[in-house]
This record gives sequence, structure tokens and C-alpha cells, in this order.
Amino acid sequence: MLQLSGVSYRYAGYSNEVLHDIDLRLDDGEIIGLVGPNEAGKSTLCLVASGLAPASIGGSLRGSLTLDGVPAAGLATHKLAERVVIGFQNPNTQRSGIAATVFEEIALGPMNLGLPVAETVERTRAAIARLRLDDLIRRDPQRLSGGQAQLVGIASLLAMQPRHVILDEPTAQLDPAGTRLVGEALRALATTGTSLLIAEHKTDLLDGLCSRIIAIDGGRIILDGPTATVFDDPRLAALGVEPPARARLVRALGNRGLEGSIVEDAIAGAAS
Amino acid sequence: MLPAAVIAGVAGRLVRISALLTLPIAISVILVSVFTRAGTHVLFTIGPFDATTEGVDFAGQTLVRLFAISTSIGLFGLTTEPRSFVLDLERRGLSPRFAFVALATLEAVPAMVERANIIASAQRARGLDTEGSVRARLRGLLPLAGPVVLSSLTEVEERSLALEVRAFGKPGRRELLWRMPDSTAQLAVRAILVLALIAAIGGRITNTFPRLP
Repeated sequence: MLQLSGVSYRYAGYSNEVLHDIDLRLDDGEIIGLVGPNEAGKSTLCLVASGLAPASIGGSLRGSLTLDGVPAAGLATHKLAERVVIGFQNPNTQRSGIAATVFEEIALGPMNLGLPVAETVERTRAAIARLRLDDLIRRDPQRLSGGQAQLVGIASLLAMQPRHVILDEPTAQLDPAGTRLVGEALRALATTGTSLLIAEHKTDLLDGLCSRIIAIDGGRIILDGPTATVFDDPRLAALGVEPPARARLVRALGNRGLEGSIVEDAIAGAAS
Repeated sequence: MLPAAVIAGVAGRLVRISALLTLPIAISVILVSVFTRAGTHVLFTIGPFDATTEGVDFAGQTLVRLFAISTSIGLFGLTTEPRSFVLDLERRGLSPRFAFVALATLEAVPAMVERANIIASAQRARGLDTEGSVRARLRGLLPLAGPVVLSSLTEVEERSLALEVRAFGKPGRRELLWRMPDSTAQLAVRAILVLALIAAIGGRITNTFPRLP
């Protein structure tokens, strides 16, 4: 379990806090979606939840982050990495810059953990299979498209097999097929007990993936609840967050006096 | 050295590179040695300077040594992939941090060139003149240098965070996936070279080989 309790955070060199009194509990196997307008504090919350802020980037934190009951404060970054990982929005900065092939790039994390070669290879192959990257394994990581680089970046994190995964807009550069692929991989990951916090503008992805949605604005939690409840909440639009197509359709039908459950049934039927 | 270069298929490039590496020093060595070295046999005179046989002999020996050094460096550079070299050093005990710094530096150059080209294209699209006369190029340099340097610095910060996430800071050795192919023939050649080095040092200590005059 990853838990933030009463967390407020201020970047180094700034006088104002950008997160205010955040309480967040991420249970094992749970997927939480994080939405909000630009500059709402989503990326900062991701950094704090990963332990990198303030451990690596400085700043000051009030409140606490605990990982499986262990306070993150004081943990060395490599100890943090064994428990929680974070994927950044820009896949180019996720890349190590020292690997000659995609396979080596994905294997870098497990290798850094000091695992035996056989286990490193096994984890790498599993991550490659999960994101169907077999065709790319011999490619130079610097010569990938944005979408491919994003998939490789996510695979690099999956190969670490962490207990908790934080993703900051993991599908920003992906096409619909790539987005679906990532969604499937993350859903499968959650079934192994890994918890996920995903900051994402693509609410359609979150709608099918998350059990809970948190909406933040101005560094504060504005909405927090089951996915359907938050996405159906009219206050979401005021935050500049576009609800998923399902929620918009249900609302449009409701406005015309039609039963929204038709859509829910249709979606359930299509999914089955 | 040259037979090795021929076997590696880089003889032509090696001679070219070695000549280029040696040339600037060679010119000064020739001028200084031939015309200023004291000697009894004067070959010809230019103004107040005498070219002596002893000077030519000294310059020749120095040039041979310079060429030997430059071909060694050149052959190493042409036949050894820097990345493989650094990773093999790590396997032999080099700190992973040092290996990363060395590798990242090597990889950073083409990445920066690529970024500079992208930024140059973007600036050109906004009307910046980056081609033409030297003056025009210099004028266009500043709007390019700023974004290239700043974006590189930002990327370095994010990349260091991404590496930390992947446990790069974990102390101790890591089991590398890569192993350089090392055939029996290569091992034998290395052993012979080490023996030759020991013999050369021994020969110099015991004065078996002639010194430069």
C-alpha cells in the first residue's frame, strides 16, 4: 500500500506550496486515475508519490509518504526504486542514453537492482512480451518514434517489477492502438498486486482501467470517488477535464429523457 | 600495427588518420630538429640556419615514434566501439557511475547535434537566417545556442531522475548482460603484446636497445 497523509509540497526556491493537504491511499492491485487541468499539480503529485520529491529534486514536504508501511523519508533512492517507480511524460528523458538496443534499455533497471543475469533477462523478456515490443528489441533506442519510445519507457518500468507504479501521462504520444495496449498491460500488471497511480488526460483510458478517480486543481483534491461517479460529476467539466465518451453519451441521453443504462449495457455487451 | 590494420580492413583510413594526427607536430619537429640540432655534417644552409645530418636523423627517429603512437591510437579508435570498451572496463571493475559518465558523454554528442538541427529548423521556420555568410551564421548562433543548452540541461535533470527510478544509484557491482567476444587468438595476441612490452621495458632498462642520439 502507498499512502500520502496530509501532504503539502513546495519546490525549492519557491515560496508557495503547490500541493495542499493531500490524502491518498493506493491499495495493492488498485488503479487510481489522476485528472485535472494543466498546472493543477498532477506531475508534482506524481513526483511526491514516487518519493523523488523531495528526496532527489529538493523542496520541502509536510506530511508523510509511506510505502507498504515503511516511511519513505530517509530511504535511499535505490531503495525507493525497489518499491515504487515513476514514468515521465517525455519518453526521451526516460531513456538511459547508454543502451545500444531496446532490449538493453529495458534490462537496465533489473540489472541495476543487482539481479542475476538469468532473472534480468527473464524480467526483460516478460516486459517486452507484455507490450509486444518483440520487433523492436534490436533497434537503437535513440531511433524510435515517440510512441515506440513511450512503450519502451513503460516496459523499462515494468521490468523492475515494482510494488507501486506512478505514471505521468503514459500515453501522451501513443496512437489509439498503443493506448489500448498500454491499458491492457497496466490492467494485467494490477492483477499481480501492483498498484498504479496514473495521471492522464485521456479519460477514456482511465474510464476502462481505474476503479477510482481523483481530480485535483490548484494542488488540492477536488473530487475523489469511484470512476463512474467522478466522471459523471458535472463539476469535472468546470475543471477543464473532458469526461470520457461513455459519460458524455449517458449525459446526452439523459438530457433527452432517455435511459443512460442503454449505453452502459451496450458497452458491457461490446466488452463481453 | 599496419598488418593488424590490414587484417581489420582499416589500413587506408588508419594511414590517413595517423598522418593527419602526426602532421602538425611533425612540421614543428622537422623545422626545429633539422635546423637547430648541432652537428658536424651540414647538408645545406638557409640564412643563419644549418640543416645537419644529425638533425635529420633525430627528426626521422622522432617522426617514426610519433607515427607509431598515432597509429596505435588510430587503430584503437577505428577497431574499438567506445561503448563496448567502457562496458568491458566495467566488467573488469570500473565503477558503473564512471562507465555511465563516459558512455553518456559519448552518446550526448550526436543527441545534441540532432537537437541543434531540430532547433535550427524551427528557428529558420520563424525567419532566422542561419545560412549564408559567416556574419549571418554568427548572428544566427545565439538564438540557437540558448535553446540547445537550456533544453540539454533540463533533459539532464529529468534523465538523472529517470535513472534513479531505475536504481542506478544502487551501490555495488551489477551483473552485466554483455560479454565481449574474446577468442583464444585474441587472448594469445594480447599475451604476446604484454610480453613484448615487458621485453621493451627490460631492454630499455638494460640499455639493449639504442637510445636517441
